[in-house]
Amino acid sequence: MSFSSKSPWLIHYDGSSCNGCDIEVLDSMMPLYDVERFGIINTGNPKHADIFLITGAINHQNVNVVKHIYEQMLEPKVVVACGICACTGGVFKDAYNVIGGADKAIPVDVYAPGCAVRPETIIDAVLKAVKILDEKAAKMGAAEKNR
Amino acid sequence: MGLIAFLVAAPLVAAVALMLFRSESQRAVITVAAAGITGVASVLFAFQHLLSGYTVYELPQETSFIITIVMTAVDIVLCAVILWFSIRYKNKLALVIGLVQTVGVIYFANLTLPHGAEHMLTAPVYFDQLSVIMVLIVGLVGSAICVYALGYMKDFQHHEPAGAPDRRHFFAALMFLFLSAMFVIVLSDNLEWMFTGWEITTVCSFLMIGYTRTPEAIRNSFRQIILNMIGGVAFLVALIIIHLWGLPMSLASLPVVANSYVAPALIVPVMLLSVAGLTKAAQMPFHSWLLGAMVAPTPTSALLHSSTMVKAGVFLLVKLAPIYLVYPAASAMVVAIGGITFALCSFMAITQSNAKRVLAYSTIANLGLISACAGVGTAEAVWAAIFLIIFHTVSKSVLFLCVGTVEHRIGSRNIEDMDGLFSRLPRLTRFMMLGIMGMFVAPFGMLISKWATLVSFAETGNIFFLILLAFGSAATFFFWAKWLGKLAGVAQKAENVEGGVHKSEWAAIGFISVLLLGCCVLLPVISQAVVGPYLAGVYQTMPQLIGVDNLLIMAAIVVFIAIVLLTPWGRATDKRRVAVYLGGQCTDPDSRKYHASMGRTMTSTKRNWYMTDVFPEDKLTLAGVIICTSIIIMGFAACFILAVPFLVGGSFFVEREVLLVGPGLPGILAGVVVFAIAAPILGCLLDGCDRKISAHMQGRVGPRILQPYYDVRKLMGKEEASVNAVDEAYVTCALIFAILAGGMFISGSNLLLCVFLVTLATLFMVIAAYSARSPYADTGADRECLQVMSYEPMLMIMTVGFFTATQSFDVARLFQIDSPIIFPLLPIFLGLLFILTIKLRKSPFDLSYSHHAHQEIVKGITTEMTGRTLAKVEIMHWCESVLFLMWVGMFFVWDNPLSIVLGIVMALAAWFFEVFIDNNFARMKWQNCLSGAWLVALVVGVVNLFYVLITPFI
Repeated sequence: MSFSSKSPWLIHYDGSSCNGCDIEVLDSMMPLYDVERFGIINTGNPKHADIFLITGAINHQNVNVVKHIYEQMLEPKVVVACGICACTGGVFKDAYNVIGGADKAIPVDVYAPGCAVRPETIIDAVLKAVKILDEKAAKMGAAEKNR
Repeated sequence: MGLIAFLVAAPLVAAVALMLFRSESQRAVITVAAAGITGVASVLFAFQHLLSGYTVYELPQETSFIITIVMTAVDIVLCAVILWFSIRYKNKLALVIGLVQTVGVIYFANLTLPHGAEHMLTAPVYFDQLSVIMVLIVGLVGSAICVYALGYMKDFQHHEPAGAPDRRHFFAALMFLFLSAMFVIVLSDNLEWMFTGWEITTVCSFLMIGYTRTPEAIRNSFRQIILNMIGGVAFLVALIIIHLWGLPMSLASLPVVANSYVAPALIVPVMLLSVAGLTKAAQMPFHSWLLGAMVAPTPTSALLHSSTMVKAGVFLLVKLAPIYLVYPAASAMVVAIGGITFALCSFMAITQSNAKRVLAYSTIANLGLISACAGVGTAEAVWAAIFLIIFHTVSKSVLFLCVGTVEHRIGSRNIEDMDGLFSRLPRLTRFMMLGIMGMFVAPFGMLISKWATLVSFAETGNIFFLILLAFGSAATFFFWAKWLGKLAGVAQKAENVEGGVHKSEWAAIGFISVLLLGCCVLLPVISQAVVGPYLAGVYQTMPQLIGVDNLLIMAAIVVFIAIVLLTPWGRATDKRRVAVYLGGQCTDPDSRKYHASMGRTMTSTKRNWYMTDVFPEDKLTLAGVIICTSIIIMGFAACFILAVPFLVGGSFFVEREVLLVGPGLPGILAGVVVFAIAAPILGCLLDGCDRKISAHMQGRVGPRILQPYYDVRKLMGKEEASVNAVDEAYVTCALIFAILAGGMFISGSNLLLCVFLVTLATLFMVIAAYSARSPYADTGADRECLQVMSYEPMLMIMTVGFFTATQSFDVARLFQIDSPIIFPLLPIFLGLLFILTIKLRKSPFDLSYSHHAHQEIVKGITTEMTGRTLAKVEIMHWCESVLFLMWVGMFFVWDNPLSIVLGIVMALAAWFFEVFIDNNFARMKWQNCLSGAWLVALVVGVVNLFYVLITPFI
């Protein structure tokens, strides 16, 4: 039995965005949606997090920050791109300073499009990410045994 | 007798030799040889006499007479030295007091010497276990410091301005002269000889403080000599009065006189001797000389101003201890001054950033504790005082020596500059950490002695002092823990600057550290074989303050902590290293550099908390000086105003013998096993319920009940990564100590030890957080220290309340009483509920890191802990929650077995109450936490303890 899926802790980073998705992510953490039902906790610290929620596009300012946060997270970890800007760059895609979606900086596991992304979509995406988390944890466990 | 003469003579010869042979190589040879010989001789002396008890040596009266003449001559020479320096540096006050002393010495000589040889004591030299302990302290620690001074002074001279005269031979000679004088003090029964030794140490200290001859050094040395001469004159006047009454000039005869019909003769002399002891021990209002003395080279501070000379002051007080049982005015004076000094100086130590000043304040505070114990005068209090002397000596000298060496390595004695010393001076820092821990946490000797102090004061029902002790100890935790935190920070790439430390410095530091550990481990043996028999000789009782099983557990923990600190155990070198968290913008984790706005690179810095607005040094000093001066004046006034029968009427307190009803080692072991299994399960369920209930209070469904378990299992399975190699080892220690504390509690063992172990667990948690050198974790750790300081007084008061209600500190005692302790201790129970909010990390006092339901930007103390380390923190939290709730339940348990059910129900009710508070109050500022918790502790402590303790008198 894997415990990763039962206790997914999040960290949220807002890249170059209009802040719409940012607000929606916070919305989904509200008592109304009660994500703690799934054991989800919003942490403020990559070292404690299993799931990295990114909203907004990647630009030259934040690309290193995103990489750094990702690097500080402990395996197993998954990345969820929330909103179309995080998925592809969205309407900002052709802006001179924008590199593109989150996958230009780090590997993304789940894409949750929308402008702005709806809280239900975010929760769905997280629950999908949780399954990937479990798979990664299982792989890690197997690698540990083989070592 | 030969050996005693040798002990006095050997350092004296060395001092002369050092003045004659001045080259550096000769000095090294002489110092090492003399130190070795003195050390070996003192050990030999101890081997012969440690177990033999009180013994006197007879001398032919003619020999005695000649020695007395020599001693008087020395006194006059010392007066001349003082007068000469006062004239040379134009210090009028010193000149006046010096003249008074000169006149006094000559007058006294005129009184006594004309009587000739037949007036001399037949047995002027003696020793007992206490003297032998002092001989060992002087002989071993003192000689080690002399050796240390070799290397230290080399660097010291190097740092002096070019062309400064090399007077190191003089310095070394003074140190040996001082050792000789100390032996005279501790081995003379003849008070005149003791006085001479006393004055020699004063003058040695004066010359050593003024060693550099800078204006500051000269000013401080005069302050020292003026204040100490007040004590010296008091001593002299006491001698003159004793002589005028025709009483023998013998220390040992004082208790005999006190218990005879001539007791009134000693009322004033005992007061005067107490004042002499208090000045030498740097108690308020005389304490400022010891602070000024810190300008002296560090070996002086280590030798004179922490480990030996100031101990002469408390040695005299401890020797007078049985007499304080007869004279209430002197006893009250010494206890009050000692207690106030302890509390105020502990507070003021918080505000200091200069390491030597912190050590000085802590020294004064601990000497206050020893003085207060001596002043109480019961066998139990003297037990505590003697162990305080031993452990303070070893711990503090290690610290002074380390600070001295560090100062030469990093060029600063400021604690702020010791950031990350763990990587720059790895070995030295570990010794320093050991020394600091030795000063204030269980299981080290100082804490055991403080524990005994608490017990002995609870036994005599001294509420005033108990309250001072509770608050002072809390402050002690704070200033040591924050310093420890500075040292513990690990930088990944740091330059090791340890190479330049001299061999002699290593030898001394290592040797005294071994002594420290040895004394801690052997504490039960020392208690049974040395201190017990001493007290049996003086009081005809051997006090049993602390169960032997508890002492053995402490000894085992000492070994464990020594292994954690000094060996590579638990260093996880194979973990992936991650940088500290700096908001995702970290560029260089070692120097905490990060990208800031506008393309700048900035450094995050953090200073310790000094809280100068909460504990203003100048105001506290003024208050302390005024209060203590008036206490002395009132004490003397009382001697002339009050009726003589009252003044020799003995102390008025009802002594309650502490009952030891603990379960013994097998019981404790069983308790630990049960707790280790049950507490995490219960704690986990409680935590799950907490989250569920909180969710319902917010109109949510909330997580599964087993959610905390899932969290921990997930954390266990995460990748192994950490900011440094040591934090997990510290957290593991914290977990172990928390479980041990719980095991102690449920097995029915000592409640105080349980509280101390919880504090120890918290300390390791704090060190783990500090070791990361992350701004967030540091802030969390600082706040955690503040929380400990906030709730610790209340916990101490709770344990004392427990004792007053049950006459024991053992939890098992609850099953022998016929009504629950909630009845006499209702205010204390309410106080416990108040601080429980802090301990359980609930709003409004969840400063260091809050628990689950509160989601915040960064997690405070646990910021840098990840994976398995964080899982252990969670488990520790569960165990602590269960333990704290058991403290609540304890109030409702009595000899009816069914009452345990009541206890559990009440504990759960308290738990629900805390959850309710948690969800209904916003976080408060730390100022409110500190002032609220202290106010509650003070009010309920005074009200409740006063009520319980005066009951026997009603």
